[in-house]
Amino acid sequence: MNLKSLLLAGGALLSGTAASAGGYQVTLAGQKNNGMGGVGVGLSLDQAAMFYNPGALTMAKERGVQVGVNATIARQAFRSQYGGPQRELKNNVVTPFNLYAGFTSEDRKFAAGIAVYTPFGNKVEYADGWEGRYSLTGIDLKSVYVQPTVSYAITDRLSVGAGVVILAYGAVNLQKDIPVEGAPGSGPAHVELDGKATTKIGFNGGIYYRPSDKISVGASYRSKIDAQVEGGDVKFSNVPTTLGSRFTANEFDATLPLPATYSLGVGITPNEKLTIGVDVNYVEWSAYKTLQFDFRGNNGAGGLVSTSGQVGGSNISVSRREYKDAVTLRLGGQYQLTSGLTVRGGASYDFSPVKDGFVTPETPDADRLGLTLGASYKFGKFGVDLSGQFVDLKKRTQTEADLVANNTADRVAGTYKTRVLIPGIGLNYTF
Amino acid sequence: MYTFFKRTAPALSLLGLALVSCQPELDDIETSKGSADFTRYIAVGNSLTAGFSDGGLYLEGQQSSYPNLLAQQFKAVGGGDFTQPLFQTGQENGSGYLRLTGFTSTGSPTTANVTTNLAVRDRVVTRTSPASNPQLIYTKYTEPVNNLGVPGIRMSDIETKGFGNVASTGGNLLAPTPIFNSYFERITPAGSDQTYLERVAASNPTFFTSWVGNNDVLGYATAGAAASFLTPLADFTDKNSKLINALTANGAKGLVATIPDVTNVPFFTTVGPAFRATLAAANVPAIVVTTGAFSTTPGTPATRKSIPVTDIRDANGNGKQLFTLTASPYVTLFGRPNNGKAWRDVYNQARTSLPPTITLGVFLAIQGVDTTKAFGASAENPFPSTLVLDDAEQAVVKSATTAFNNALTAKANEKGLAIFDANAFFSRVATTGIVSDAVNNTAAFISGNLFSLDGVHPTPRGYAIIANEMINAINAKYGSSIQTVNPNDYRGVRFP
Repeated sequence: MNLKSLLLAGGALLSGTAASAGGYQVTLAGQKNNGMGGVGVGLSLDQAAMFYNPGALTMAKERGVQVGVNATIARQAFRSQYGGPQRELKNNVVTPFNLYAGFTSEDRKFAAGIAVYTPFGNKVEYADGWEGRYSLTGIDLKSVYVQPTVSYAITDRLSVGAGVVILAYGAVNLQKDIPVEGAPGSGPAHVELDGKATTKIGFNGGIYYRPSDKISVGASYRSKIDAQVEGGDVKFSNVPTTLGSRFTANEFDATLPLPATYSLGVGITPNEKLTIGVDVNYVEWSAYKTLQFDFRGNNGAGGLVSTSGQVGGSNISVSRREYKDAVTLRLGGQYQLTSGLTVRGGASYDFSPVKDGFVTPETPDADRLGLTLGASYKFGKFGVDLSGQFVDLKKRTQTEADLVANNTADRVAGTYKTRVLIPGIGLNYTF
Repeated sequence: MYTFFKRTAPALSLLGLALVSCQPELDDIETSKGSADFTRYIAVGNSLTAGFSDGGLYLEGQQSSYPNLLAQQFKAVGGGDFTQPLFQTGQENGSGYLRLTGFTSTGSPTTANVTTNLAVRDRVVTRTSPASNPQLIYTKYTEPVNNLGVPGIRMSDIETKGFGNVASTGGNLLAPTPIFNSYFERITPAGSDQTYLERVAASNPTFFTSWVGNNDVLGYATAGAAASFLTPLADFTDKNSKLINALTANGAKGLVATIPDVTNVPFFTTVGPAFRATLAAANVPAIVVTTGAFSTTPGTPATRKSIPVTDIRDANGNGKQLFTLTASPYVTLFGRPNNGKAWRDVYNQARTSLPPTITLGVFLAIQGVDTTKAFGASAENPFPSTLVLDDAEQAVVKSATTAFNNALTAKANEKGLAIFDANAFFSRVATTGIVSDAVNNTAAFISGNLFSLDGVHPTPRGYAIIANEMINAINAKYGSSIQTVNPNDYRGVRFP
């Protein structure tokens, strides 16, 4: 195989698929951090401190503008309880990105900046006809946070910072098949929910302390935001006409919690060249109790007299989630090899917020081990950051009996196994 | 740029390779045959075994018959070819069947008969089928078959000579003889008087399923206990014993299914609840029905019974009296004077078993019916017994079902066979439903996915769920691990 065809193979595979990290959280906010197992709360690497710990922003050695983008490529295998072929996802790529611009005062007392990042998101698209089609055929959940941030150094060892977290953009598209049989040869009846979230505001804050030149500690918090869709579109296709009166809704309302996160981090700098970080994140996933859709409006499919807001003969859909709070442990380090080149490595272990028997096709979550690599090269004021993550989700099985017992029979019985590969690249300019 | 490309190319191709190895693989579920031998599987039974659905036998139902689904799963553990007497293309609608055409403004389903592409080869006049409504016979299929499901067969029929011979037209009213079964006739060589039991004995299975006996109670129940008869227990026990002995003669292993409680099927649970609600809304306290068989003795009219509206069983199981699905067009006539439709129809059905001297007028006089009075609301014009299965009749059906099931399980245990307790299973389905991958299947008519438009026979989905329960029983008995089928691959009721 020559280089060209290898490249083509690689290129084709790059148009792969997507997944989330720990529930539907995405922790890819800084390209340097991404190469270090996602640590950053006890460090002050660069402008991404606005996300990891705004308190560390004044301590960042570099100030400037940086942008990063990642390609989340998920590969999944699913086997139904009833056997049959292994199901795999349609190959999609999602591209979580981050953008930071920061300014620090001459005396390094004040820092201010703006961050744009994607802390939550999820895109999964299942193969046609898969066993869970009546639960989900595809979801695309997007969120973009914009965060103006300020930081103040109380002493040259202690600093604090805070930001206003704005859910500037949020969108959800959720689709599934409807279990009714139409005429022979007609495609599956299908429903699509599509809506934009209203703009919401939260905050984050952090504190950063360097007791000695070799040790730093940090703590940060980001508040919960309830992403709320009001009047999203409900679209049916292929519903048999005789069932029109049971499928009249054309609008929906729903709320999805984007949970609060507490983080603690420690940074160790044995010498100028080596930095090691350890982080613990605690995410209040328990805020996610149910996923409820309220349906309304009348598309006229059932004639003038039919009841409004019906989806399958009901104007509400409630699905149990019952997430539990979850911890992520992270360890990472970087080493400056030459004046220009820095290399990174790290690992993370993410405890799933999803209880046994509650796994949904939209978030086929499990405990996950992440291994990361990264490198940066500086050309004067420019720098390039490369990162790569490999995330392995534990195999997870649930039977129909488990689902019935948990009152979660609105999802699919079988075994999931997912792996995710996330290459990323960042560019930065410092001044 | 070229240099950059050249340098990053190996990294990118490495990424491509990493992606290939990134795809997880999950092993297929392992299967094994355990101590059973599925080389030659024979299915013995009635309409349920044949794949009868929507009030008829047609190709799609045959293809999703539970024996066909079982055979398909047996293939993975050494099962051989499984031949069914399938209707051929061009005649795929077989006997004809019901299809859903829509709903009335009040939400009641409307159906129509499929009358094209049938496999009807002729019409035969018999004792019970006069020239005005002759018995249909179907295109023959006399190649060897593995599925011996014969719609309509009762345990009491298995030793009847000429049961598959079109010459058995039943004699006359005074000297009745057996009448052939059109579906057994279809798979029996012309002119042969072979009994069903003889056919089964010659089938030489290595594995079998046997599900016979439903019709020994069902016909009695669906006619509101007014027509047909219950098979005597001794006869049932004796013939079942012969059947199982024949199947196991060469050491075959197999499964025996019990008879479900017919009062759990939509045929009996659909009309009553809606009728009760209508009556309650109109403040009607009670209705009048006849109970038991119709009278044949002048001067002793059919027994009347007043049923309080609160005693009609509703969707929550309150109340005891059941209305048949066939009562649907009549309940709307409640309270109307000068309405004899129900009794006229009863007479037309009963006519063939009545002496020619019994005209409609005579028949009504014997039953003590005056159709000028308010229908269903008066003792003079009651609901005919054929539309109602009352609590006393239910008790008779139940005790017969229990006795038959005891006979079936005792014999199965004697031979060490697997048992599918269809009675317990369908009772459970009637109370809790059964979930398959986010789809809730229940015993509800039309919306429940499991029962077809006749309210008695399953849909393909229903048959798939039956096949799965049988597989579970086989696996438990013979230590095999046969994969179940995915119920959602099989349809429920089709909506236009």
